[in-house]
Amino acid sequence: MKTYSELKEYIINRKHRKLRRKIQVNLAEEFHTAGYTPSERMTRRFELMCREEKPVVFECERIAFIRTVQNLPEIFTADEWNEIKKNHYIHELGFVSNVCPDYGKILEKGLSGLKENADSYSVRCLDALISLVGKYVTEAERVGNTDVAKRLKSLTERGAENFTEALQLFRIIHFALWLEGNYHITVGSFDRYMYSYYIKDIKNGILSKTEAESLVEEFFLSFNRDSDLYPGVQQGDNGQSLVLGGLDENGNETFNELSQYCLKASGNLMLIDPKINIRVHNSTPLEIYEAGTELTAKGLGFPQYTNDDIAIPALEKLGYTHKDAYDYVTAACWELIIPKYGCDVANISALSFAKVIDKCLHNDLSTCKNADEFFVCVKNEIRRECDSIADGLKNLWFVPSPLMNVCMGCNISNGGKYNNFGIHGTGIATAADSLTAIEELVFGEKISASELIEAVDDDFGSTPELLHRLRYETPKVGQMSEKADSYLVGLLGAFSDALENKTNCRGGRFRAGTGSAMYYLWHTDEIGASPDGRRAGEPLGTNFSVSLFANIGGPLSIVSSMVKPDFSRAMNGGPVTLEFSSDMWRGKDVKTKFAKFIRSFVLLGGHQIQLNSVNLETLKDAQVHPESYGRLVVRIWGWSAYFIELDKEYQDHVIARQEYRI
Amino acid sequence: MTGRIFNISELTVHDGEGARVTVFMKGCPLRCEWCHNPEGLSFEKQLTYKRKKCVECGLCRKECEHGECKPFGRCLHVCPNNCLDVCGKDYTLRELVGILNGYGKITEILGGGVTFSGGEPLMQWEFISEIIDNLHGMNTAVETCGYVDGKIFRQAVDKLDFIIMDIKLFDRELHRKYTGVYNDIIKCNFRILQNSGKPYLIRTPLIKGKTDGADNLEKIKDFIGDSDWELVPENKLAKSKYNMLEI
Ligand code: SF4
Ligand code: SF4
Repeated sequence: MKTYSELKEYIINRKHRKLRRKIQVNLAEEFHTAGYTPSERMTRRFELMCREEKPVVFECERIAFIRTVQNLPEIFTADEWNEIKKNHYIHELGFVSNVCPDYGKILEKGLSGLKENADSYSVRCLDALISLVGKYVTEAERVGNTDVAKRLKSLTERGAENFTEALQLFRIIHFALWLEGNYHITVGSFDRYMYSYYIKDIKNGILSKTEAESLVEEFFLSFNRDSDLYPGVQQGDNGQSLVLGGLDENGNETFNELSQYCLKASGNLMLIDPKINIRVHNSTPLEIYEAGTELTAKGLGFPQYTNDDIAIPALEKLGYTHKDAYDYVTAACWELIIPKYGCDVANISALSFAKVIDKCLHNDLSTCKNADEFFVCVKNEIRRECDSIADGLKNLWFVPSPLMNVCMGCNISNGGKYNNFGIHGTGIATAADSLTAIEELVFGEKISASELIEAVDDDFGSTPELLHRLRYETPKVGQMSEKADSYLVGLLGAFSDALENKTNCRGGRFRAGTGSAMYYLWHTDEIGASPDGRRAGEPLGTNFSVSLFANIGGPLSIVSSMVKPDFSRAMNGGPVTLEFSSDMWRGKDVKTKFAKFIRSFVLLGGHQIQLNSVNLETLKDAQVHPESYGRLVVRIWGWSAYFIELDKEYQDHVIARQEYRI
Repeated sequence: MTGRIFNISELTVHDGEGARVTVFMKGCPLRCEWCHNPEGLSFEKQLTYKRKKCVECGLCRKECEHGECKPFGRCLHVCPNNCLDVCGKDYTLRELVGILNGYGKITEILGGGVTFSGGEPLMQWEFISEIIDNLHGMNTAVETCGYVDGKIFRQAVDKLDFIIMDIKLFDRELHRKYTGVYNDIIKCNFRILQNSGKPYLIRTPLIKGKTDGADNLEKIKDFIGDSDWELVPENKLAKSKYNMLEI
């Protein structure tokens, strides 16, 4: 490969996957027999992986490192895992995830520098990594890529001294952290920790702006080399989220030239990684929204926007320091996390608002005299649910992570400066709409409580008129209905109240959120139909969304509803997602109008938002002819994915989500 | 007083300054062959039917008590898939003013406003005029075919902030052939608009073999001089809407 564009084609067409092989070793048995501690096992596996990795350097590349071993052997036997789970709460896969390393420190110290004050496991991991870099040096020399060879050699001894080195060092450490077995390792505020390297080179005249732009693009491409090996719910769910802009602790905007290059690189590549998040606030200039909208219009499903004016005060209120709050970034999807210090488990569990309603419908409705009384029952049930969620989260344990430890400001698996737990909340619109329907129909004496309960239990099989009325003729969130909106506000408030003074098993607190992740599918299966006319099996909305079937007024009505709740106590994250038909983006000034639309969401006090551009016909055609749509991108709850790589269940849901047309 | 409306659309981005709310008024005096809003043509209420979603359950054919269902011989309040609807709903002044003012804050931040479209909105000018009097300082615009009594047109131009007007064909006979009416009134109204001092935009739909000829476009250009002018490609959505209306 002689040129960057050849390399790009090669990676995009996934030809590099041929370089990989599988290794066959039964580490778990070996470790078990030897009786190694978890830290010893993690270290040994990492050392093995570094030995097994075969360096590949392309002649033309400026940023090296690519995975050649496909699998990570297990470190515990199945029996051992069972034993661990008896005494501990294990989050997802049990390995450290959804954190943002201290990239600033890493770039400055370099691999050898990170050994300072590190324990013996971490030192061994760093040594193993340094020898792998050494092997890359030899390979780079062999293929005649002397620039890369020189850079890598320097980086074994010291930190980064210029922009290209900084990108290369990032690539090495990011590669290594995945190889260690951690996952959802986020990219953080790239335009902050990289900026000093960039601007120094520009000032010294050793880097031109065009070169910087093309370097950023090649750097972005590197996120797509190994991403299919990263664990996630579906392909694409890999947590490579990158944050741009936002206020610093002195109240200054940080969006800079590098941020612009990032948006441009993403638009040029049209690949799903890294996923871009933009931090915005009441004085974010329109141009930033416009640059973001360019990407949305291309159909990438990002950027996602988070409102600093909501997020920062909310973080401070929860006990994050002033400086740390201003440094927040987003986890894999949208959850707010703090680089370096944050050991929060931002997606540890979820409350199903829809299930709460289902319980109260069956247990309390017949005995309530009015809507207020019923809502008190709902609030009590939310509290009970939250208590039981919190009670279930005892003795949290993570597999130790020696390399990650030196990349953070703490021993990450044991917890750090912040140890809060984020709880998602699913089906909030289903719940608010159900409460509205109950108030209007049952307490408005149109039907009796038992009639409604019977109809819901019967999945409206013999009450078509009631079904129609509930679905299409009863006010809903997203229809400029004061009543439905006030239930939305009340429900989220009750969720925040229920978590407010709780302490978790690591001494941290709980954070209520409006996200759903995959919980919306699980929570759908837990219940049958609901009083808003949703039939059994019809999915709850993803994240902070309105009902999927209602006659929604439109994007302005949705925004008007969704900015109303008090997010200062429900800041964990979970965006409003709006879908627009892809032909809507054409025309004079249209992108500016959309940019203003997003800005208005922020100015009205919205928390997080993402816009999608979708074409229903294209999606349907892609299901029939997947071969022609290899790079068709769609947004799932908090990440973009290639449509044809999703399971049918996810594809169908993307199709079912409404499109707003002119 | 009531106005007959067939849709209120949010975040419209092609109907004037900023992102807007567009109110589609029912009824139009023209019958353009290519009409992109067929549901706006007749002033009468019409049944719409989403054939694709219909599961032929027959529920809507059972007799019902609702007065509003009578004219259509179908019950509108029972379809589990929301296939049936009535195109054309009468709003009182109060109702519509309430709805539009509800958007006031967000359209202000958006730098948008409200646009009256159709159909031909100026057929219901009296209603629109009263609505505007009750809006709290929202920017107002109209999309008109210009085929309306000169006195009304003048009042409308005076009251609205922005006017989007179609000039489809310059030739009188061709105009009649393709839209059903001569264009003399439209031409007169254009002059009123041009001399009004109000900001406006002229639009010409580009219909293959009908309006897109060089001759037509040149004549329109000569006629409107240096007015802002937009050529609008044929709208592809029209077909699915026709299917829905069963017309
Ligand atoms: S003027 Fe407009 S609404 Fe009326 S018939 Fe022509 S295209 Fe249709
Ligand atoms: S009720 Fe709906 S689905 Fe059933 S026949 Fe009528 S239109 Fe079709």
